[in-house]
Amino acid sequence: MLEFDDLHKRYGDNRVLDGVGFTVAPGSMFGFCGANGAGKTTTMRIAMGLALADAGEVRWRGRPLDSAVRRRFGYMPEERGLYPKMRAQEQVGYFARLHGMDGAAATRAAGEWVDRLGLGERRNDRVEKLSLGNQQRVQLAAALVSRPEVLILDEPFSGLDPVGVDALAAGLLEQAAGGVPVIFSSHQLDLVERLCDSVGILARGHMVATGPVAELRRREAGRMLRVVVPDAPPGWAAGLAGVRTLSEDAGDTLLELDPGTDDQAVLAAALSTGRVTHFAWREPTLVELFREVVAAPAEVAA
Amino acid sequence: MTTPDGLSSGRLVRLVAGREISTRVRDKTFVISSIIILLLVIGAMAFQVIVASGSSKITVGVVGGDRAVVEPVLRQQGTTLGDEVTVVGLADEAAARRAVKDGTVDGALLGATGPAPQLLVDRSAGSGLQAVVESTVSRLALGRVLAQAGVDTIAVPKTTVTALAPNADQTGERTGVAIIAVVILYTLLALFSQFVAQGVVEEKSTRVVELLLATLRPWQLLAGKILGLGVLGLVQIVVVAVIGVVGAVAFGVVSFPAQLIVTVVAVVAWFVLGYAFYAAVFAAAASLVSRQEDLPSVITPTSMLLFAGLFISIRAATDPTGGLARVTSFIPGLSPLVMPVREAAGGVAWWEVLIAVALMLVGIAVVVRLGGRIYAGALLRTGGKTKLREALRAERV
Repeated sequence: MLEFDDLHKRYGDNRVLDGVGFTVAPGSMFGFCGANGAGKTTTMRIAMGLALADAGEVRWRGRPLDSAVRRRFGYMPEERGLYPKMRAQEQVGYFARLHGMDGAAATRAAGEWVDRLGLGERRNDRVEKLSLGNQQRVQLAAALVSRPEVLILDEPFSGLDPVGVDALAAGLLEQAAGGVPVIFSSHQLDLVERLCDSVGILARGHMVATGPVAELRRREAGRMLRVVVPDAPPGWAAGLAGVRTLSEDAGDTLLELDPGTDDQAVLAAALSTGRVTHFAWREPTLVELFREVVAAPAEVAA
Repeated sequence: MTTPDGLSSGRLVRLVAGREISTRVRDKTFVISSIIILLLVIGAMAFQVIVASGSSKITVGVVGGDRAVVEPVLRQQGTTLGDEVTVVGLADEAAARRAVKDGTVDGALLGATGPAPQLLVDRSAGSGLQAVVESTVSRLALGRVLAQAGVDTIAVPKTTVTALAPNADQTGERTGVAIIAVVILYTLLALFSQFVAQGVVEEKSTRVVELLLATLRPWQLLAGKILGLGVLGLVQIVVVAVIGVVGAVAFGVVSFPAQLIVTVVAVVAWFVLGYAFYAAVFAAAASLVSRQEDLPSVITPTSMLLFAGLFISIRAATDPTGGLARVTSFIPGLSPLVMPVREAAGGVAWWEVLIAVALMLVGIAVVVRLGGRIYAGALLRTGGKTKLREALRAERV
C-alpha cells in the first residue's frame, strides 16, 4: 500500500494542504483530481521528497519514504524536465542509472523503452530537436525505464494528442496490471473515469471525496432521475413534492429527488401527461461529482 | 553513506560527473575554446622561436686585399656584439653589388681601411650589421693612428664581468613564463567556472532538476558537476602545460627548463585550488536564477574578483615585492593568480606559500559549505530570482 497520511503544508499564510490522506493499493490506478492550485502537485512533490511536509508522512509498504525507497519510484513532474542537448536514448539510460541500474542493464532498458514508445528512429536525436509529443514520450520512458515499484505522474496526459493519450493510457494500465500502484493527476475527468480504479478529489487542502469511482457514483446516485415525456407541457413536474427540475428540454427532463421521495409517484405523474419514452435513474458523471464536491464554499483561496 | 540498494554517494557523484564530461566534450564551445587555447600556446612559442632566431648571423662581403686585415676585426667585433660574423671575399665593387642584390651577403664593406669606407646594403642595414661594421672601421682607424704614432700593440686591460644580479635573467624568464601561465590559468578558471554556472542554470531552467532531485541529494548533484568539469579543466591545463614545456624545451625558447617546470607545476596546483573556490561560488550564484539571461547579474561580482586577481598578478610581475602583491598573494580567491607570479619572481619563503595555501583551503571550505546551502535552498525555487537570504533560509530537501 502507498499511504498518504494526514499531510499538512503551508507556504506563508497559505495552507496548501490541510490534512490530505488516501491510500493506493498495489496494481490500482488512482486518479488525482482537483481545481488548479488545490494542492495536487504539492502532495506529489512531498511524496517524491521535493518538498517537506509540515506534518504527516507518506509510507510505502508500511515504511516512511526515504531516498533509497524513492529511488525505486518513477516520477514525472508537472513541469517536464530533460536535458535539451542530450540524445533521447542516452538520456533515458542516464535516468536508469540514477535509479540504480548498472551501466549495461541501463543501456539495454533504455533501448527497449525508446523502441516501445515509438522513438526508435529518433533514439540518437537530441531532445531539443524532438516534437513536444516525442519529448513527452522520452519523459515517460525516463519515469518507466527503471521498472519502478510505484509511479507518480503529475499531469501526464497534458499536451498529448489523442493517439498519444491512448498510447500512454495503455502503458499505464499495463504498469498497473503488473502490480504497480499508479497515481496520476489530471483535469481530463473522462480519462480519469475511464482508467482509474479509484479517484481522489482534492479541494481546499483536503480530500473531499475519495474511493472507487463506482462507489462514489452509487453514493451520489439515487437522486437524479431522467424522464422523457414528449407530450408533457413545460413545468409538468413543478407541483410534485420533494422534486426539483434541474433541466427540461422538449419533454426531456432531469429531476432531482429529495431522499425518501417516491419515484413511483413521479412515474405516475409522468404517465398522466401522455407517453413516457424514458424513465431511469441517472448515474452522475465524474464531472458532475467533481462540480458537486468542489463547488462548496471556497473559504480558502487556493 | 551507502543506501540499502547499494547506490553509494560516490557512485551517484561519479554518474553525474561522467555525464558532465561526456556532454561537455561534445559541446562546440568547449572544443573551440580548447583549440584556441592550444593555438595560443603554440603561437606564443613559435613567436619566441622566430624572434630568437632573427638575431645572430651576419654575412659580410669584403672587397679586395683588405680582407686579411679586416676579417679578424669583423669577427671579433661580431663576437663582442653577440653576432656570428661570416666574411666572404669579393673581387671588386661590381661583384659586391651583385652579391648584395642576390642576398648571398647581408652587406659589403668597401675600402674598409681607406679614408671613406662604404657599406653596401640591399635596402637598409640591419642594426646588427651596421654596429659590427662601424665598430670594425673605427677599430681599424684607431689601429692605424696608433701605428703611425709608433705604438704597435697596446696592452688592453681585460675587463672582468661581475654581475650584480646574477639570476636576473633567470628570474625574468621565470616571471615571463609565470605571466603566460597565469593568463592561461585565469582563462581556464573563468571558462570552467562559467561552465559550472551555465550547467546549474540549465538544470533549473529546463526543470530537469526536479527529476534529478527525486534520486539525488543536492550536494551529490553539485559535487558531481564540479568534479566532472574540474577533471576536464585539469586535463586541459595539464595538456597545455605539457605541450608548453615540451615545446619550449625542444625549441630552446627557455634557458632554464627546470625552473620552467617548477613554475608550471605551481600554476597547475593553484588551478586546482582556484577552481574549487570559484566553481563553488559560481554554482551558488547561478542557483539563484532560473534563466541563462539572468546569469551575468549574479556572477559578475565574482568574475570581477577573478579579473582583479589577473590584473594584480600581471602588475606583481614587475613589482613582486610590492605591498599589493604581498597582501593579495594571501587572500583566498586572489592568491591562485598572484602567488605563482611571486613564487616565480623568487624571494617567497616556503612558509609564505604554505600560509597562502592554508588560507585558500579555509576559503574553499567556507564557500563550499555556504555555497552548498545556498544551492540546496535555491535549486527548487524556479521562476524569477531568489534572494540570497531567502535561499539560506529556505527548506532544504
